[in-house]
Amino acid sequence: MIAARIAIAAALLAVPAGLTGAWIRSADTRLTELSRAPAELAPVATAADVGYCSPDLKRILRRVLTSCGLVGGNAARGCQPVQARSVATMSGHDFNALFKPMQDRGGIVQFDQDKFDLDAGDVSLVDQVFADQRGASWFFVVARASPEGNSLHNRELSKQRAEAVMSHLRQQFKDPDLDKEVGMLWLGDEYAQLEAEFCAWKRSSTASCNTDQLNRSAFVAWIDCQL
Amino acid sequence: MLVGAVVGVVFAAVSTYDFVQHLDRQVHNLHCSFIPGVSHAGESGCQIAMMSPYSSVMRGRVWGGVPIALPALSVFAFLVFYALDLLVTRRKGDPRATGFLALAAALPALASLVMLLISLTQLGTTCKLCVCIYVASALCLVGGVGLWRRAVRDRGGAPAPGRRGPDHEPAFVGRARTGSDARLIAVAGGETSLGFVVAAFAIGVGFVVVPVLLYLAMAPDHARFIGTCEGLAHPDDPYGVMLRVDRGRDARGTPAIEVLDPLCPACKAFEQRLQASGLAGRLDRKAVLFPLDSTCNWMVTEATHPGACMVSEAALCAGDKAPEVIAWAFDNGERIRDAARADPAAAARIVKQRFPELASCIGSPDARSRLNKSLRWIVANNIRVLTPQLFVDKVKLCDEDVDLGLEYTLSTMLGRRAHGGLATVPAEKPAAEKPAKP
Repeated sequence: MIAARIAIAAALLAVPAGLTGAWIRSADTRLTELSRAPAELAPVATAADVGYCSPDLKRILRRVLTSCGLVGGNAARGCQPVQARSVATMSGHDFNALFKPMQDRGGIVQFDQDKFDLDAGDVSLVDQVFADQRGASWFFVVARASPEGNSLHNRELSKQRAEAVMSHLRQQFKDPDLDKEVGMLWLGDEYAQLEAEFCAWKRSSTASCNTDQLNRSAFVAWIDCQL
Repeated sequence: MLVGAVVGVVFAAVSTYDFVQHLDRQVHNLHCSFIPGVSHAGESGCQIAMMSPYSSVMRGRVWGGVPIALPALSVFAFLVFYALDLLVTRRKGDPRATGFLALAAALPALASLVMLLISLTQLGTTCKLCVCIYVASALCLVGGVGLWRRAVRDRGGAPAPGRRGPDHEPAFVGRARTGSDARLIAVAGGETSLGFVVAAFAIGVGFVVVPVLLYLAMAPDHARFIGTCEGLAHPDDPYGVMLRVDRGRDARGTPAIEVLDPLCPACKAFEQRLQASGLAGRLDRKAVLFPLDSTCNWMVTEATHPGACMVSEAALCAGDKAPEVIAWAFDNGERIRDAARADPAAAARIVKQRFPELASCIGSPDARSRLNKSLRWIVANNIRVLTPQLFVDKVKLCDEDVDLGLEYTLSTMLGRRAHGGLATVPAEKPAAEKPAKP
């Protein structure tokens, strides 16, 4: 009788103890196997690299950014027109074509003739475009001057326009990465003048658009490419 | 009674199995059904119950803790044993022996009642498997009490303990010796001794203690995974985007950074588990917002949590009131997500309605830029695209440890950190094959 009772007790005690022991061993085995196998992990967060970032575009970008001091350890800030032409090694038309896919990522800040100060509309457009960084790594400010006046003056005017935008960004956003992500180019009237089709872009002026007005400007855009 | 105990054994075993299989740190289907063994994928009452802090005990001592289904299984197994023992020893008419059975059956019944109340009041749901255990407990209690009452009633007409039979001969249970004059006058003659009850109690304790000790002894060593899940390369906050999560944080606590989405249900659940664990108070926790909403987050192709960008902007705009915004977002996440899914502008309206003082900031270039910097911080630290994630002093709490293993892993991490031993370590690699000897 006692033996039977002990046997029943042992058998029933074995239910929780034995089952649990077996299940734990099984889980432990799986745990060890899984820890040795490559785990399926969520993707790592990265900056954007969208479809228009072709190898050609990236090559040009790298040259421009290196020349402008954003990559490669060059401390220079901004690119001279001749440098821009040399790093791009392409026609002004082709140079402008690089930026056409960025229409919804950029805008054209239009200045009054021979002026480089930003009015309320300009500020609003710059803020709007810059705040919409998303995954972009680079912000380009490409300033231009219309053909009136001499080339030397136009280059200086173009530079002042680019710097006006940069100065506003620095003041408005207090972004510690500003100097690492904003590339400035100032072009005179002899290279890569904007064509009429850029009138379709977001502009700070609501006035009718012609190419002279369009080139008294600073083109601003985020570029969603990784280098 | 016996049927109830056997049903209890079956369902408590299934529940224990469901819990134990998670010791491999993976996600598994649960057997959430009134039919034992039928599995159920996805969210269910069983899932909520199992992931709640009420599903196990000693969570700080062993990964996941000891599932309460295990002692339940043990108690039901003991009830089966004891009921069978009463049958074998013919004590089912004994008031003391059956009284102990009724008392023993009251234990799972009481526990079931408590768990049912917790389910209804704290979890807001019930789990089918648990309901089966509740029913089994009730059956045991009804059976146990019924048996005891019948024994008492029957004993009312029978000789009281210590009294002799009608002819003053001793009554007993068992085989009479040859030549003895003793007669079998009742199924159970003299009442069970107190020693029997004490022994039964001790056996019952053994039924619970042995499996629990075995569980503690055999549980896998999960501490080996601490520090194997990446870390923060740049934990500093150059953009000023880190927010406080809770108002009552301890500035002397261990620095921790949580990557969260204010509209992410998993983040809300994680926050609840963290608060329930009592470990939140030991952290000096800051949050970096990582809304999984394609409106502002280029790393996701669709709005996993619609409206999360707008709510994140609100939290960034709120400054010191960020904990209030995040807590509100957790509480109203489902409503905001549903509204934003139907109308993308709805999230902004809802947030501005609740926090009118933030209306001018939400959607502004500055707010958008700050949110973007929050995402850039995520990129700079090579963080994986999921939420929530917790980094304790630059070391990530592994994603596999954010639910069942939270208390154990986090308390172990805090302990290691206190002793200067918390660091990222390389994950375990497959053993390299030994080169063949020449």
